[in-house]
Amino acid sequence: MKLQAGQNTAPGLFGNHQVVIAVVLGLLVLAFLLSLFIGRLESGFGLLSRVWETWKYKGASGLAENVDWLVLTSVRLPRCLLAVLVGMGLSISGAVYQGLFRNPLVSPDILGVAAGCTFGAALGLILSQVQFGLVRLSAFVFGLAAVSLALALARLIAAHSIIVLVLAGLVVTSVFNALLMILKYLADPYSQLPAIVFWIMGSLHRAQWKDVYLAGPLIGAGLALVHFLRFRLNVLSLGDLQARSLGLNPPVWRIMFVAVSSLIVALSVSTCGQICWIGLVVPHMARTLVGPNHERMIPVTALIGGLFLLVADDLARTLTTAELPLSIITGLSGAPLFAYLLYRNRGGGWT
Amino acid sequence: MTLACSALRCGYGREPVLLDISFLVENGTFCAILGRNGSGKTTLLHCLGGILKPDQGRLELDGLNIARLSRQELARLVSLVPQESIDIFPFQVIDVVVMGRTPFLSLGQSPGRDDYRLAWQTLGLLEAGYLGERNFNKISGGERQIALLARALVQSANTILLDEPTNHLDFQNTYRLLGRIKELCRSRGLRAMAAIHDPNLAYLFSDQVVMLKEGRLLAQGPTEQIMTAERVSELYGTETLLAEVSRGLSLFFPALIKRYRS
Repeated sequence: MKLQAGQNTAPGLFGNHQVVIAVVLGLLVLAFLLSLFIGRLESGFGLLSRVWETWKYKGASGLAENVDWLVLTSVRLPRCLLAVLVGMGLSISGAVYQGLFRNPLVSPDILGVAAGCTFGAALGLILSQVQFGLVRLSAFVFGLAAVSLALALARLIAAHSIIVLVLAGLVVTSVFNALLMILKYLADPYSQLPAIVFWIMGSLHRAQWKDVYLAGPLIGAGLALVHFLRFRLNVLSLGDLQARSLGLNPPVWRIMFVAVSSLIVALSVSTCGQICWIGLVVPHMARTLVGPNHERMIPVTALIGGLFLLVADDLARTLTTAELPLSIITGLSGAPLFAYLLYRNRGGGWT
Repeated sequence: MTLACSALRCGYGREPVLLDISFLVENGTFCAILGRNGSGKTTLLHCLGGILKPDQGRLELDGLNIARLSRQELARLVSLVPQESIDIFPFQVIDVVVMGRTPFLSLGQSPGRDDYRLAWQTLGLLEAGYLGERNFNKISGGERQIALLARALVQSANTILLDEPTNHLDFQNTYRLLGRIKELCRSRGLRAMAAIHDPNLAYLFSDQVVMLKEGRLLAQGPTEQIMTAERVSELYGTETLLAEVSRGLSLFFPALIKRYRS
């Protein structure tokens, strides 16, 4: 009888998940520090040394006037923090949805959050092109409204069916996409339409400390809650019958997890537009590394998600002289990566 | 220590699937639930497991009213081995087994070292320790049933409900699994309630039978007394013979078999 032997081994690539967590965390910290010194304005150690010299000769008060220091602290630092937060948030929402719906092809926008957010943002952009606060608020409100609509519709049709929930999400998504098309059709093709299109492609270039203060605590709380309750995702992923016989009330937990994930996605999308593929592909990367047990894969998913979006954003702002929209980077890297993971995990059941 | 079911009425919509079902099952008993397709076997198991709420009647487990227990409290006493379990993420078998500890964990708690030790011990008890680190989706149907039985044992030492446990098993595995369940009933005072299709398996392994016909109780009681050729004929709606195949061992055959083998 095997007792202690393989208790912590995972069916993933690497047996020891603690090593994976340590390595990914190390990479994340490293990438974060490097990201602060990458950008159009200045890169590398030149910036660092100039900041250092200003501090040495003029003290802290001198820093306040130093352009390099300002770029570092009020542009790049919030931007990098937001990239990590949103990357973690979108990936964790993806992992939660995939577990709840027992389907690895589910992404966080299955219940219409992203479609609602996009419509809300477009509406905001048309109503007031300059006030980004309003655009974000509108995106956030419509995102949550879309999910609520999907949940209510599903409830109306059949109380506890997962398939009905997915179909309701499909209906809501289609409606909001159609509404978005109306807005695009009506929008001024020279000013409003490009704004909508760029917003949909996602970017962190407007990131400010204000966004970190607003989204940070809420996304952080959502992440903490999912981490705290992650073992329940294992049980819920067995399906309603088994979850019930193991003593859980699946509909209640499902609503809870959907609410938390939707909040995270709505916050993310309303701060930096739609960023595709992260929510789908990162949970698969985590499962490939440490196996499907949510106890181990949830922390790994969060760390990889943060790292992924941080690096994607670095690429977005350095690849060309103009900034690229984020979804171009995440789509071009995420989709082939997803294909590769499907190939690698072939024959192993769902990844 | 009794599971008592009295005047149970249960169903999904307005039409009851089960009507006026009453029986007692002591602990340490292997009870088979027999009946044709659609006779309400699974519904009865779901009722006993608290998955379905009865419309009427009373379910009592060791003196406790099941309707009064929370889902978590009930899950500590009654576990279910579902008919089929596939299409989940490729969990390791040990991760599936340890989920039997769910009703004992507080909110936000994950299984700890002791829970894993218990899971490994239970797999070992069923001589299935070798399965622990394998992919649950890639093991055979028989091995999967053993893993789910281990999970049920980890969950509850009181009552285990099994929904057609031998459905996907081959000839030898069928007998091994039922034999194991019977041993557990003897050695650990476990109460097992199993919906079974084959009357011979019930006849060979069970101590007690509950016969359901179109949602009503046809008969219930000790296997030896209740399972006569007449009753089995009535239960399945086809003439059935009980014939001695070797000394002290009799088996049921549908009479129409003679039409093909003579």
